[in-house]
Amino acid sequence: MMIKTAKPLGYSAIRAHSILLPLAFLLSASFSTAQIEDFASVTDEMLISPPTGEWLSWRGTPAAWGYSPLDQINTNNVDQLQLKWSFALDDTGAVQAAPLIHAGIMFIPSARGVIQALDAVSGDLLWEYRPAPPTEEFINSGEGTRAAVLPPGAFAGVGRGVQKNIALYGDMIYAATETASIRAIDARSGLLVWETQVADPTLGYFYTAGPIVANGTLVTGITGCDRYKEDVCFITGHDPETGEEKWRTSTVARPEDPGGDTWGDLPLRFRAGSDAWVAGSYDPEANLIYWGTSQAKPWARAVRGSDGDALYTNSTLALNPDNGQMAWYFQHLPGETHDMDEVFENILIDVDGRKSLFKMGKLGILWQLDRETGEFIKGTDIGYQTIVNLDPITGKISYRDGMIPRIGEELNMCPSTSGFKSWRAMAYSPDTSAMYIPITLNCELATFGPTERQLGGGGTGPVRRVNYHHPESDGNLGELLALNIPSGEVKWRYRTRAPFNTAALTTAGGLVFIGDWNRTMSALDAENGDVLWQVRLATSNQGFPISYSVDGTQYIAMPVGTGGASWSGSLPNELAPELHRPRNGSSINVFALPE
Amino acid sequence: MIISMDSSLKKITSLFTLLSLAAVSHAIEAQSVWDGVYSDAQASRGEFIYREACLSCHGQDLGGNSNSPGLVGMGFMFLWEGKTLGEFFEKIRSEMPTDRPGQLPAKDYLNVVAYILQENAMPSGKELSSSAAALDAIAISSK
Ligand code: HEC
Repeated sequence: MMIKTAKPLGYSAIRAHSILLPLAFLLSASFSTAQIEDFASVTDEMLISPPTGEWLSWRGTPAAWGYSPLDQINTNNVDQLQLKWSFALDDTGAVQAAPLIHAGIMFIPSARGVIQALDAVSGDLLWEYRPAPPTEEFINSGEGTRAAVLPPGAFAGVGRGVQKNIALYGDMIYAATETASIRAIDARSGLLVWETQVADPTLGYFYTAGPIVANGTLVTGITGCDRYKEDVCFITGHDPETGEEKWRTSTVARPEDPGGDTWGDLPLRFRAGSDAWVAGSYDPEANLIYWGTSQAKPWARAVRGSDGDALYTNSTLALNPDNGQMAWYFQHLPGETHDMDEVFENILIDVDGRKSLFKMGKLGILWQLDRETGEFIKGTDIGYQTIVNLDPITGKISYRDGMIPRIGEELNMCPSTSGFKSWRAMAYSPDTSAMYIPITLNCELATFGPTERQLGGGGTGPVRRVNYHHPESDGNLGELLALNIPSGEVKWRYRTRAPFNTAALTTAGGLVFIGDWNRTMSALDAENGDVLWQVRLATSNQGFPISYSVDGTQYIAMPVGTGGASWSGSLPNELAPELHRPRNGSSINVFALPE
Repeated sequence: MIISMDSSLKKITSLFTLLSLAAVSHAIEAQSVWDGVYSDAQASRGEFIYREACLSCHGQDLGGNSNSPGLVGMGFMFLWEGKTLGEFFEKIRSEMPTDRPGQLPAKDYLNVVAYILQENAMPSGKELSSSAAALDAIAISSK
């Protein structure tokens, strides 16, 4: 109205605004209540087979395919995609968001515990949950307090505070925090219902991955287990109603437990790592959750003081969600010694009647396991790494000659400590029977150094690091690799100078969506890798793209964001120095076909 | 334009170079981080800057986390021994904080360096100068 009269926004206009505002606020409040009254509680059945157009789990369903069965947007019309709306997310920390869709609402986690509910069609804000910053007292509590908390007055844009995913169940949103607590927030109002402190953040514990819900239990994996302390990393099961802890399973074999001798004679306090920093998957038929664990800390054996297997680091764990009991484990890289994490997503696919689990770690080996027994079925080395040999029959790896690092001696290795694969999840398409894998091509001259073996010490251990381009990369950092499943044969590759920096999203429209660090979002033909549509967004594409539909219209949503580790820091800065990304601009961007 | 330097000019130039080198080495003695090269006031200002601009990644105890290297103890020595305080200062000033490199005033970076030295149990003493030559003359060595 004000704009139509074309009057300058003078005093009277401002006054008119300030009168209108409360009214507008009331209107929007009642509008949001109306939306939220329609809210159907999310059941276990819905999580397993979501209603048409809904995206209820961080990778779509508990099988984590990252696949949308929607096909309105397809290879024939994707070039007509248009921006429908965009919404700025907080720039107060790193954003790697995995939005969820239910009842026409988008629930999106952003930095530092902020969660927002947006109308998925219009992009209007329905509610937001914004935690109060931690108090000085909390920050200063305890010996060895460290970066788990942010001092008041800290600037925007710091690399922490990331919440990758949240969970939806019943009428609640569940989130895990950078101060090692779990929160239940009413999905209809945005009000905090309960908060449970799971671990002591002053010991370094924090969360970057959110929970999943499996058979009525809230399951969450913790991280920040790099420093030496009298405890180890773990996965918990909580009661979603009350926040009460039902079980806690250590991801490190304690000295007295089975497998306890795989850390040599190191006492519990010197068994670090095995962080569970990526959310797992769930198979309701087997009633098992599948969760990855990270590498041991310090990274190099010589620095850790043990060349044992270090169970249950770099493993896939199959746990019963009711009691946390381990049905099986498979250790991908026993006694890992180069920071080659295997913690990432678990994709559950039935291949020729065999219930399988697919996973890839930093080394770029695609593992196929039997998800009922944990048996090794197949391993496909994508052929870029120079560190291990894989026995194709047994799935056992052995280190190549001279490739086990010694303190202070330079090692030439591919990939770098950043890895080829990271949290940027791969996606599966049942239509092409192929896996679409975001890769960063890179190598490193690495010199691993010592660290203090004392409580509060440890950590990853220092590394003198010189990054360089992978010899087969033609100067490209990014590769989207399509592999046929289960053969592991290369279907196609698409390379870019900048690293890909999001998960892949596949759709029944025959498309793969992905975004790179240099702001380009792309839609490719899943069959042949042809680029069909591109757009440039505010800053680095970063997070987990999704697809959903409301009232018959299909949407694609792409999160972009700042922060992030070496994939979005030293690697592009050093190896593609001509590229620059804005240091703010975190947002969610939603596209659809013209009406 | 081609300038051919005759030999007498060359001599003069090299003499001048020698003299100026001597002057520099006279003014700035080779030192190590153990010689009391920063002041307590600088370190305490540096602590404030550190909390505002570095702590969130490198930790309250400067021990780092799985993405950001530690800035104290064996890890610090492993990464920096044999280099100069000039190189250390330049690394921080040109690359930190990672999301807004070079955005702090040079003095703040200098104070943070003083604070990091203090946290590495290196003794305080004279004021640390921001001159590149002075910083380059201070070696990072183990005790
Ligand atoms: C947003 C997170 C972040 C902030 C804030 C930050 N750093 Fe860093 N720092 C890193 C990361 C990550 C690295 C590793 C190099 C890289 O990936 O760019 C690093 C590396 C360093 C190094 C080099 C370590 C080595 O020896 O290789 C120094 C020194 C350093 N930081 C000091 C600082 C100081 C001093 C500040 C405050 C002025 C600061 N950093 C703020 C994340 C951060």
